Amino acid sequence: MAADPIQQFALKKIFTIGQIGGQEIAITNSSAYMFLSVAVISLLMLGTGRQLIPGRMQSVAELSYEFVASTIRSTAGAEGMKFFPLVFSLFMFICISNVIGVIPYTFTVSSHLIVTFGLALLVFCIVLIYGFYKNGLKFFKLFVPSGVPLYILPLVVVVEVISFFLKPVSHSVRLFANMLAGHIALKVFASFVGMLGAIGFVGWVGAILPLGLTVALTALELLVAFLQAYVFTILTCIYLNDAIHPGH
Amino acid sequence: MATGLRLSSELVAGVLGGAALGWGFDRLLSTSPWGLIVFLLLGFAAGVINVMRTAGVMAKQNERL
Repeated sequence: MAADPIQQFALKKIFTIGQIGGQEIAITNSSAYMFLSVAVISLLMLGTGRQLIPGRMQSVAELSYEFVASTIRSTAGAEGMKFFPLVFSLFMFICISNVIGVIPYTFTVSSHLIVTFGLALLVFCIVLIYGFYKNGLKFFKLFVPSGVPLYILPLVVVVEVISFFLKPVSHSVRLFANMLAGHIALKVFASFVGMLGAIGFVGWVGAILPLGLTVALTALELLVAFLQAYVFTILTCIYLNDAIHPGH
Repeated sequence: MATGLRLSSELVAGVLGGAALGWGFDRLLSTSPWGLIVFLLLGFAAGVINVMRTAGVMAKQNERL
């Protein structure tokens, strides 16, 4: 009965497409769930109608638009709306794939560091390119603080460069660690129910406690799934704001 | 709790990023273990700076532009 709490994150190959440079390119359960999230989002945004008086699903679609738009306007200003398609896609993808992951027996896409790191790197590259486009070579002034004595400047510049390139790491680790830890905790408590239940009648009575905790943790995970998508979005907006309005 | 998580993840990212950089540096130039030692310390320093920036104790990088 003791299920391995890590097993739920295993990648399973569904079918192989081909090989690039000796490396197998395959559709895994992770990519299948990514396609599923995109399909759900497309269904929600395209398939819910355009009535003047919105139905239930159309209200959800409109609310999610309003929510992301107001987040961008409040953190990155009206100019940030240039990046609305990017931010909205990121938010919807992370939120929907996290919520799908809360359903038992499903796979959570964002519990793999490489997925969240890919998303964070996308944001980082866009901020970097836009920063260069906006500021030109003055962009390098980011790394040179003023008023530092010359003999310590090289060390400070190295630390500043590293701290700049750590942004996508902390951006991705936050989402990944939250999803991973939450799902492992859920699985551990759920496996207690099975282990205690195997003992007999005393175990069944004792199993009530971890069962209740599992239910409570599932509710918490639903909150975390949404909250982490929101945190990822708001940090994206903050980084974009840094690129759009330098010196604020 | 959100702020605490944010601060701690900045520090963890600093150390992890520094370690990864140092490890890659060692692999490429076969200078083990010096790259790991130096970049781990630099990553720790950068992580502390990022924590202070997130907490608002220190000026942000983009204020220099």
